[in-house]
Amino acid sequence: MEQDEKRRNFLKYLGASSVVVGTIGQGVLAEEQAQTSNEGKKPHYGMIFDQNKCVGCTECEVACHKINAVPQGQARLYVQNKTDPATPMEKRYVRVSCQQCEDAPCVNVCPTKACHRDEKTGIVTMNADDCIACKYCIVACPYDVRFINHETKAAENCNFCFNTNFAKKQDPACVQACKYKALVFGDLNDPDSYINQILHVKDAVRMKPTFGTKPSLRYIPVVKVGV
Amino acid sequence: MNEAIEFTVGFSHGVEWGWPIGVYLLLAGISGGALIVSLALRYYQRQSVETPLLKAASLVSFVTIVFGMVFLVGDLEKPLYFWKILINYNFKSVMSIGVLALCLYIPLTFVLVAIVFEGWIKEHLATTPLAKLFFLFPLLKALRPAVEVLAFVFAIVVCAYTGFLISVLVRFPLLNTAILPALFIVSGLSAGTAFSSLIASFFFQADAHAGDMKTLHTIEWPVMALEMLLLFMLFVSLIVGTSFDKQTAGAFFQGGYSALFWFGVVGIGFGVPLVLNFLLGKKVAHSAFTFYLSGTASVLGVLSLRLFILYAGQTFSA
Repeated sequence: MEQDEKRRNFLKYLGASSVVVGTIGQGVLAEEQAQTSNEGKKPHYGMIFDQNKCVGCTECEVACHKINAVPQGQARLYVQNKTDPATPMEKRYVRVSCQQCEDAPCVNVCPTKACHRDEKTGIVTMNADDCIACKYCIVACPYDVRFINHETKAAENCNFCFNTNFAKKQDPACVQACKYKALVFGDLNDPDSYINQILHVKDAVRMKPTFGTKPSLRYIPVVKVGV
Repeated sequence: MNEAIEFTVGFSHGVEWGWPIGVYLLLAGISGGALIVSLALRYYQRQSVETPLLKAASLVSFVTIVFGMVFLVGDLEKPLYFWKILINYNFKSVMSIGVLALCLYIPLTFVLVAIVFEGWIKEHLATTPLAKLFFLFPLLKALRPAVEVLAFVFAIVVCAYTGFLISVLVRFPLLNTAILPALFIVSGLSAGTAFSSLIASFFFQADAHAGDMKTLHTIEWPVMALEMLLLFMLFVSLIVGTSFDKQTAGAFFQGGYSALFWFGVVGIGFGVPLVLNFLLGKKVAHSAFTFYLSGTASVLGVLSLRLFILYAGQTFSA
């Protein structure tokens, strides 16, 4: 009997203490998480293209050319008209640009590390000086969205305006130029970012996910409603 | 694929790696293939003299790989910056690994030429300033076994890397296969054998129908059979694959590049040597005409194969 009592007390204390320790622990953990998401954890920049909102005005293309000094006849960003000829009134546009893969083949194959992932921001970008224009990254890209800039003679991709707007802590030029809010740019690792809020409520897909390169661009396709 | 949304245009110009890379792939194959065959023969036949084949093969392997470098660097859009690839390395990149292998392989082939042509060099260059370097020959002689083994290993590495180099390109079903490095080694053997036989016979007076040449002539056919088998495997892997693979199998039957395959690879590369050596009687088969034509056809066939793989490969994308 006495032993039973002892055991009951022991269990009681154990339960009580676990509640206390547990909450403290939880608090510490939550604090840690908050800290890492703000400081310690590296950002993961991504972009949403919402097909429902894009009207194909191509002002994003114009802005991209201007801000990033892309030579005429070349593009980092292109809006393709994918409207089904059978239903010409139902417009479908698609953004064509670097998908900013988490496991980027261009970075893996570049022999001089000119095409690299920026240490701090995780953005796939280019060091034009080290590029010898072997075109390995261009043929290795599953999305065919890289090219040799005629003027710099270096390979290039959409790097979220890394050297221009991003350096000034501004949104990429295409996002700024879009009047219809079809483009959203933000940190996918920040649970409170606007891009994550949208991804929580809308169905978004990745382009050609079977290549396994984990692209950071998300597309919200037009979905047929009703039957 | 997710067909709800997709784009179907790209920023490249279709075939980004064109004929200079195709010629480089051929030259690298000849270089590696020639060394592999001649060094293997030397080992198995326990040869100790410098045979015409070894002379030809060492010279061919050095000259072709150096010319290959010219094409490789020439294809860069910034050829004068090629040295950047020698000071920056990315060990995830097959190209970087290949550059490292070439940095060891090219000097090895050069040293091998110096060793094999010791007699000729001492005879012809004695009056030049290079004679001051003749004291190195005893050292080279001592290092010869090591040089031969390393050259043999790196010859295989160079042949194989050219295959891996383009087999990592996931966008192209014809290229992104496990067969490619094997196909490049085997076709490199075939082109290397043919080219060094031609040189051995023409410049170093090898008897086209005796000794090493005869042995090579018998090895030639199993190598060709293996090449055909690998091509057949490549084709089958495509027709039984995904919808992109099936579409890519069309490379063998539609468009200009299928002509390159059937006329170049099959007709010239396989057909001409087979017809000349087996169908037109012993007299034709043993003629010098057949020897040279059949060897040239083999080399042209492998060139066609490299170009077909490269061009058709980059034309059909997933």
